[in-house]
Amino acid sequence: MTAEFTERDIHLALDGELPAERLNDFGAWLEANPDMKIKAARFDADRQRLQSALGPVAYEAVPGKLTEAILGNGSDLLGMSSWWRGAIAAGLIVAAAAGGYAVGVTGGPAGIARASDPVAERAVAAHRIYSAEKLHVVEVGADQKDHLIGWLSKRVGTTLQAPDLTPEGFSLVGGRLLPSGEKVAAQFMYQDYSGNRISLYVTQTAGSDETGFRLFENADARAFYWLDGGFGYAIAGAVPEATMEAVARAAYRQLLPGAAKS
Amino acid sequence: MDEKRGAILAELPRLRRYARALVRDRDVADDLVQDCIEKALTRMEGWQSGDNPRRWLFTIMHNLFVDQLRRVKRRGVSVSYEETGGSALVTEPSQLNNIAAREVLQALQAIAPDRRSALVLVAVEGLTYAEAATVLGIPAGTVMSRIARGREELRKELEDASRRRTIRVVER
Repeated sequence: MTAEFTERDIHLALDGELPAERLNDFGAWLEANPDMKIKAARFDADRQRLQSALGPVAYEAVPGKLTEAILGNGSDLLGMSSWWRGAIAAGLIVAAAAGGYAVGVTGGPAGIARASDPVAERAVAAHRIYSAEKLHVVEVGADQKDHLIGWLSKRVGTTLQAPDLTPEGFSLVGGRLLPSGEKVAAQFMYQDYSGNRISLYVTQTAGSDETGFRLFENADARAFYWLDGGFGYAIAGAVPEATMEAVARAAYRQLLPGAAKS
Repeated sequence: MDEKRGAILAELPRLRRYARALVRDRDVADDLVQDCIEKALTRMEGWQSGDNPRRWLFTIMHNLFVDQLRRVKRRGVSVSYEETGGSALVTEPSQLNNIAAREVLQALQAIAPDRRSALVLVAVEGLTYAEAATVLGIPAGTVMSRIARGREELRKELEDASRRRTIRVVER
């Protein structure tokens, strides 16, 4: 018996659309066609990867605004709301017990909102290069902080400050001057107690665009950045997003008034 | 009425997951879910109790997503990182899982939206081709071909990603 299949059937089989009685023949066809077998295995592996990346989203806590959108404030719904709320809470506990795996994709300029600013990309690139340095992480160390800030302020063309990130667990290592397109950029490097590094990158931008607080991600590093008053600011690093966000917000708060002066 | 609200509530986790597959940004995805709920609530009269709420809700969400894509195409948008503080409940997975998950989600965003939605409905949400066809408003044969192309695109994106990963400077 020579049952004929095509690549199309790989998808049908994977998606449970191939009639059960044809599965044996399909298996035999795969055995006889190693190329197709490899392809089928690859699609299967990709699907599993997709499932394990997205699966946990269903176990995250559902934001209150969504349950409220359905239930109103719940007062007029006679105990039903509390029943459902209870069920959702129970689901949460199960998810936590199962290991609390959740994908850290709380935000990102991906997909439909991909446009990023060169400031963010340059900050991430510069961070990768210098945070990996053991001996020459910075040009001027934090022991000469005043000199460092004065020098970089003069070169970048605005009154810079190295934000105090100690409440977030990061202390200043120092800084350096970098090229940024045709202009220059200042990089301040910070480090936490276990050696994780994040950097603040500041450069002059071409336009006077202003943005809110944005996240740029590529591969495994990310930057929170904003443009303000002709300057671009980015906090880059590869630490967990929640940590990055806390640090970036602290820096943002401290830098915004300073930036407005220039 | 309450029975229907309960049914929508029970679908929330899956609606959120589907939304997150469509638009990766968590806040944008939850906004999409909220729009979907609001639209669903205004249409509850037209929904028969016996009907599968999942298919009904996914259809509403899909149509909203298509509208959104059209708007974005017209304007061109960069996402703003709103101060929602919503990330507090997200626990970080182990580093390895994190990279694998991140890569596949990034790859998913890189493929064409119509292929992305077909692939996710079937491969993640477990809909049949016929169900996905209803949600997407296209023939089942088109679902099949979008999935096939989507899988090819995804594979290519993932191969590119792993190539980039091998040449990247390793931190720390």
